[in-house]
Amino acid sequence: MSSTFTRPSPLFLALVVVPTVLATLYFALFASDVFVSEARFVVRSPSKAAVTSLGQVLSGSGLSGATEESNAVVEYLESRGALADADRDGLLTRAYTAGSVFLFDRFGGLLPANRERFFDYYLGKVEVEPDTTTQVLHLSVSAFDPVAARAINERLLERSEALVNRLSTRARSDALTVAESDARDAQERARTAAVRLAAYRNRAGIIDPEKEAEARLQGIAKLDDELVSARTQLQQMEAFTPAAPQIPYLRTQIDGLQKEIAQRRSGVAGGRNSLSAAAARYQVLQLDSELAAKQLAATLISLQDAHAEARRKRAYVERIAPPSLPDYPIRPRRLGGILAVLVLGLLAWGILTILLAGVREHREG
Amino acid sequence: MTPAAPLARPPLRDSLRVQGRVLVALLLREMLTRYGRHNIGFLWLFVEPMLFTLGVAALWTAAKAYHGSNLPIVAFALTGYSSVLLWRNMPGRCIGALWSNLSLLYHRNIRVLDIYVARIALEFGGASMSFAGLSVLFIVLGWIDPPKNILEVVGGWLLIAWFGAALAITLGALSHESELVDKLWHPASYLIFPLSGSAFLVDALPAAAQKYVLYIPMVHGTEIVREGYFGSRVHAHYDLGYVLPFCLVLTFVALFTTQWVARRVVPE
Repeated sequence: MSSTFTRPSPLFLALVVVPTVLATLYFALFASDVFVSEARFVVRSPSKAAVTSLGQVLSGSGLSGATEESNAVVEYLESRGALADADRDGLLTRAYTAGSVFLFDRFGGLLPANRERFFDYYLGKVEVEPDTTTQVLHLSVSAFDPVAARAINERLLERSEALVNRLSTRARSDALTVAESDARDAQERARTAAVRLAAYRNRAGIIDPEKEAEARLQGIAKLDDELVSARTQLQQMEAFTPAAPQIPYLRTQIDGLQKEIAQRRSGVAGGRNSLSAAAARYQVLQLDSELAAKQLAATLISLQDAHAEARRKRAYVERIAPPSLPDYPIRPRRLGGILAVLVLGLLAWGILTILLAGVREHREG
Repeated sequence: MTPAAPLARPPLRDSLRVQGRVLVALLLREMLTRYGRHNIGFLWLFVEPMLFTLGVAALWTAAKAYHGSNLPIVAFALTGYSSVLLWRNMPGRCIGALWSNLSLLYHRNIRVLDIYVARIALEFGGASMSFAGLSVLFIVLGWIDPPKNILEVVGGWLLIAWFGAALAITLGALSHESELVDKLWHPASYLIFPLSGSAFLVDALPAAAQKYVLYIPMVHGTEIVREGYFGSRVHAHYDLGYVLPFCLVLTFVALFTTQWVARRVVPE
């Protein structure tokens, strides 16, 4: 046996032995334990009628199922805003830059620390994953200390709740403000219509021209009756007792009745101040008031609908599982990491060996 | 390799130079035999894929194809179909490549792998030139915006090329042993085409499907190309931790099968 076989080639050393040894050192001695705190929650929102037509399935949006609010939560949690909100008192900074964390794992350990890098680092530590079939959101936060992991998770969850609350209050108040202002307008209009009608009644001194006209017509009819009976009496007297002393009396009575009837007639119809003229104006006002009342009723109903809708539209975060307190560091996967480096190294070595052997088969001459 | 061989073997640099010469010669020969010297000659190398891409872009524009985003359809077709050409033509060229080049293997310095590498390099060059040419053309015409991050586009492009090359060598070597590979590749390539991420964005798919689509390696490369092209307008889904090992394994398989075939091949 030659020494070529007992001593590994430099290629093997460089691609397999050295990386594996480094990985073993790192994973066995240095890598800091990572604790993962997980929370599960659901963003409840008004359920829309589920349309499961073929078209929707084909268009790709039918199966996604995620609601606007839970999308907003996912987007928010992966934004700089969430980082800034959660790190307001330095909770994340403290957790990720602690001196006890190994240099390679710590934020700011290898590269200078700045906001942008911290955001990238944050994205690596926080994972929010929507489960599309159940619509449950999984929020997992990694940190080098179980308590910190849970605290950060709790903080992010609170911020998400605040966000959802803000969204839903906004959505509700928008719809309600419109309905309320409509109702207020309608009330105002109904009130002014009623006031104008009352003012007119006061001014004209009539309650209801129709009824009043009826009453007056009845009075006129009574007077008519009296006139007719007086006339009949006068005719009889003139025919049978022409010298009766009542005749002049009856004539005066008939005259008086006729005048009275004519005067009353003109009060009911014709003439500027007659009841019929008043009725026209009155009816316009009354119609206004009736319309305003109906409109008011309608807006009140829609206001009630808006209230009901708003109650239904209330989106909120429902915690299924609160942030957990990890008691065991599930990462890094130390053995798996070493193994992966070994396997990848072997692969790279195999490929390069074959390639180089192939190259070596070409020779001059 | 006998134990004594290492002492006698020439330096690696010399062998590499020889292989380089062989590859260039094979490339030129390939270009001439394929495109000849008539009309525009070897320009067909990238005019062909360009016409393909143009045609698809025109079809998709006319059909206003649904692709799950509000991206301009021309840019979408360009990035999508160019990627398809890249990974699909390489295996297409390498399958059966050995049969037509068997006589060349009489030369000691022409190895099986060289034949594949030359064809792959040619395909890569053609597809890349067509992609770059069309990009420049469309940008000049104002149809699309310049890519947001050219380096990322290049990275994704190389990733697809790597996958395509490894797949091509594997299939090419296997096809020398079994004709079935040739017969199966054509239907398979058409079936994978719609799944390869060229006609859709992973983000537009239902999340349940995303998980499975991401098992297909070219999807990752296409997504990276798209992210480089459109920047933050697309939400790209890719996982280098999956594709890179996948390509590594495939490359290993490719080289291994090539060696196996090289040992069995009988020069005519």
